[in-house]
Parts: sequence; structure tokens; C-alpha cells
Amino acid sequence: MNAPEERRKEIPGRPRGLLSSWRFVGAIVVGILIYAFGWRVTEINLQKLVTGAPDVVHIVKQLMQPDLLTRDKEYQRAYADFLVPCGPVAPRQPAVSETETYLVLSHACGESGEPLSVEGFNFRPSTRGLLRWVPPTGTKRSLQYFDSDAEGHFALGIAVPDVGASEELQQIEVELRWDVGLPYPSETTRIVAEKMVQTIMLALMATTLGVFAAVPLSFLAARNLMSKYRGTMIIYFLTRGVFNVVRSIEPYIWAIIFAVWVGIGAFAGVLALGMHSIAALGKLYSEQVESIDPGPIEAIQATGANTLQTIIYGVVPQIVPPYVAFTIYRWDINVRMSTVIGFVGGGGIGFILIQWVNLLRYKQAGVAVWAIVIVVWVMDYVSSVVREKIV
Amino acid sequence: MLEIQNLTKIYEGGTLALKKVSMSVEDGEFLVIIGLSGSGKSTLLRCINRLIEPTEGRIIWDGVDVTGLKGEELRKVRRHIGMIFQQFNLVKRSSVLTNVLSGRLGYVSPWRSALGRFPKKDVEKAVSCLERVGILDQANKRADELSGGQQQRVGIARALMQDPKLILADEPVASLDPATSHSILKYLEELNRDDGVTVLCSLHFLSLARAYATRIIALKDGEVVFTGLPSQIDDARFREIYGEDAIQVEIR
Repeated sequence: MNAPEERRKEIPGRPRGLLSSWRFVGAIVVGILIYAFGWRVTEINLQKLVTGAPDVVHIVKQLMQPDLLTRDKEYQRAYADFLVPCGPVAPRQPAVSETETYLVLSHACGESGEPLSVEGFNFRPSTRGLLRWVPPTGTKRSLQYFDSDAEGHFALGIAVPDVGASEELQQIEVELRWDVGLPYPSETTRIVAEKMVQTIMLALMATTLGVFAAVPLSFLAARNLMSKYRGTMIIYFLTRGVFNVVRSIEPYIWAIIFAVWVGIGAFAGVLALGMHSIAALGKLYSEQVESIDPGPIEAIQATGANTLQTIIYGVVPQIVPPYVAFTIYRWDINVRMSTVIGFVGGGGIGFILIQWVNLLRYKQAGVAVWAIVIVVWVMDYVSSVVREKIV
Repeated sequence: MLEIQNLTKIYEGGTLALKKVSMSVEDGEFLVIIGLSGSGKSTLLRCINRLIEPTEGRIIWDGVDVTGLKGEELRKVRRHIGMIFQQFNLVKRSSVLTNVLSGRLGYVSPWRSALGRFPKKDVEKAVSCLERVGILDQANKRADELSGGQQQRVGIARALMQDPKLILADEPVASLDPATSHSILKYLEELNRDDGVTVLCSLHFLSLARAYATRIIALKDGEVVFTGLPSQIDDARFREIYGEDAIQVEIR
């Protein structure tokens, strides 16, 4: 008879097993519902992940072969005339030579679709070439790639393309191209380097803008300095509020606004990243001011130092190293952001990257992507080393 | 000579920290203030160099009413009063040498010190102060790299830079182990005995007070409850100062 009573006494002190387990089951059900809903609205499709993979392979391949270096080209060209259809006079065949390049056709006139063999002599050995058909009017047509053999000879079988009848001469053009000299940076590399410098400078300017505005504002956003009077407390809340609002708006959105305001380009990017940096740095700085140790300040005052001396010897050493560390950290973030701020009109390397991507020029885009990877990685490393040294 | 008359301090919020405290300190004394935490020891010491503004009362030092001073005059008085703190209060990220030199700020021109240029003789003085407290080899280290005892020695060196006539020491050994505590108090004793610096030092432990004080003042709830020689504090007095439940702890 005693046992149930004792148990009832114990119960209030412990979590109620049954109820809490029902709550737990309920929470799991709600959780499953939320995830099921999420799965649906985000249109997750694992099948697509597999079936779509081949589409991306050629993009990745091209990105992995960035158009980094180039070499000067030299070429050899030779021509032969052809008539479609045959006329009263057959075109003259090219002159045979011991040393000069020349082409020999199986016949010099015919109908569209007829087979035609083209032979070449005295070309550069083992070199890639291209055979093109040059109609009297209209554009050239590339017909076939080929390689010359070790003697500089090649023989090709083609079909006369559908060029329409004409009394004027058609032309068969053969061009062999090869690289000469040492590799040197391509035009793409030059553009990327130039834009990368602009990007890093963009980040520097934005960070500088952020620092100059955030340093004075950080004091207004420090509770320990502003809590003395009601008026200063209002300023504190206002500054904090503005920081929070500005910080919660992503730099991309600022970039869209400023791209309209000052036009698309790096300046819009500077303003967009600068705006975000002011708020982000202002908050970090003000927290640093709030965590100042009053002890050393008291000690410096006790030596008979005046206010200026107290600030220089008691306050500055406490806040400058963390300020510098936060600033470098911010520059690091800004470099990373500035590489993509161009997507929305903020200038820098992102601007040309998105253009190349839209033009499907992935080999050029690859150079930009690799440049971003390297610069971000280096900045990340440098900033962590410097920050460790300072703090 | 330091004379304190009817000193009262009421903090914002109404806490009564000192109630009409009157006492005097002769030149060359090693006066120890004892009492529980919250008894007003720190407030009393900080009122003397006006780190805390007293609410009422007067502090007269060498015939000058310190309570009435402002700006330049106050700073001239402060530069002769060295202060040592429980938490050492060094600028942690600055070098030991810079911390010691900052003790000279009351003497050098503000513009020179703003640029970090101290006169050569001040740098030499800092070196000799560090030598005196035995940590010259640490001069170029950052202050927070030092151990507690070493940091407090930096604190003493900083006070020495002021050519002090009076040293206020607020619980100088409360953050240190017993052996280090003795070494720090021995430096203060040496300053007191050899250089004739008046020392006003608050301590938790009666045993330490007995070992170093020439005279003891006890505070309880902001009032002076005892003034006299160390030998005059018997068990009854001890319970009066520290409360009925207190037990004496010996620090050797």
C-alpha cells in the first residue's frame, strides 16, 4: 500500500515520462512533415543528379584546360580551282613543283555530291591541316581535318559540297597550322590579370571605406561609452540598429542598387562592399570597445597622465591590434566577395567571368576561375598568418 | 603626512562604501589596511589619488587639499603617488618596457609621449627599475607573457618610475601564491625602509599584515574599527574585524 504513494511523491520532481515521450513523438512527426514539405518545394530530384551529369562533363573538361598560355602560329596555304558543274573550259590544275607546295585534284569539275580526291605535296611533315571549300559567293565551309605524313604528303577523299551551280570558279583551300616559339600568356590571361588587380584593389578600397566610417561609428555603438545619458543611449540604439539593417542586406543587393546609382562597374562594387563592411566592421569594433579592460586605464591615470596620454597608453594598445585583425579579416572576405560582385554589375573579375560563361567560353572562364581560387587561397593564408601575429 | 578627515563615499545606486573615515598616515609608515571584501579598502585607497571622487570629507597630503584639485594640479599630485593593483593592471599587449615607461607619463611632455619618445634618461631609469625588481631580461616581452608574480613586479617598477613619496597598494598579492606574495611584499618593505617611501597597503590576510606592517588599520562596513600595532590584534579583535565565524589562516 505504501508503494504507490511513494511513487506519487517522486513524480513531480522528475520529468513525466509518458507526456514527454508523446511530445517527443509529436516533435518527430512535425519534423518529418517539415522535411517532406521542404523536399517538395525545393524540387529535390536525385535521379536528375545522375542523368544530368554527362551534360556538365564537357564544361568541367574545358574549365580544367584554361586558356592560359598561347604560342605564335605559322601556316601554309595552297589552293586549287574547281567548277560546278563542268563548263566549256576546265579550270587549270596547279603547277607541279619539286619544292613548292601544290595540290592535285582527281578532276577539276563536277556535280555537287560527287566524290573528289585531293592530294597535297611538299607540305610541312606531320602537321595538322584543314580543308575548306570557298564558293565564289558566300562563306567558306570547313570540310575536313587531316594530318600530313612524314614526307609532307596527304591524300583526302571528299564529296563536292552542295554549293549550287555557278559559272564562276570554286576554290579548294588547304591550310596547315603549327605552333612556333615559346609559350607566352594568352590574351585571356592578360585580361584576367588586369581584372584581378582591379578586383583586389576593389576589395582594398571597399575595406578602407569601411574602416574610415566604422572607426568613429564604433564608439557610438559601444554600450559602455554611451550608457551614461539618455541622449547618448538613443544614439547607441540608432547606430546599432542601422548596423544590423545594413549588415543584413547582402552585398549583392547593395551592388544592384549602386549599379543603378553610379553605373555598372568597379565603383558600384566598391560602394556595395564598402557599405556592408561599414556595418560589419562597426559591429566588431564596437564589441572590442565594449570589452576594454578598465584596469590599465585606471593605472595610467594614477601615474598623473593626462587624457590624451591615457588614451594613447591605456586605450589604443587594447583596441588597435584587434581592430587591425578584424580589418584584415574583412579584407579577406571582401576579396572573396569582390570576385563575384561583378555577377550583378559590381565590376572586377566576376564581370568578365559571367560574360564568358554566358558566351559558353569555358576555357577562358576557366582562367578566371583558377585565378579566383589562387587569389582567395593566398589571401586566406596571408590574413590568417598576419592575424595570428597581431592578436 | 597624509590626513583623511570624515571621508564619505556613496556610490551611484546608494551603496555607502565609506562612512566618515578619519585617519592619518605619518611619513615613512608601512600602514596596512585589513578588512573583509567590501569593507571599503579599495574605495579608500582610490579616493586618496582621486581615481574615485569622494562624496564628502577632505584628504590633505603634505598640506595640500587633494579633494579640491583639478586638472594639471591633480596630475602633479598623482605623479608622486604610485599605485599597485590586485590585477596588476598592465597593458597586456604592450611590452614590459613600455608598461614601465608609462609610469613616467606625468613627467614627460604629452606630445613627446604621444609619439612614444621618452627622454633617454627615462629609458635608463626604466632599465634600472626593472633591474631592481629582477626582471630586466623580460623587458622586451609582452606583458601578458609574464607570470603573475613577474607582472606585479612590472607594476612595482612602473610605480617606481614616478619617484613616489607614497605608494598605494590595493591587495597587491591577492592574485598570487604565498611564496610570490612574500617576494612582492619584500620589495615594498625594501622601498619603505631604504627609500623612505610611505606605503599604504590593503591586505586580506592578517598574517601577512603582521609580518610587514608598522601599523594596522581595520575597516568594517566602511568604518574604521581598529587602529594600532600589529601585536595588539588578539583573537577578540580578530573576530570583531572579520566576524564571529572567521578562522585565522596562516600565510608563511
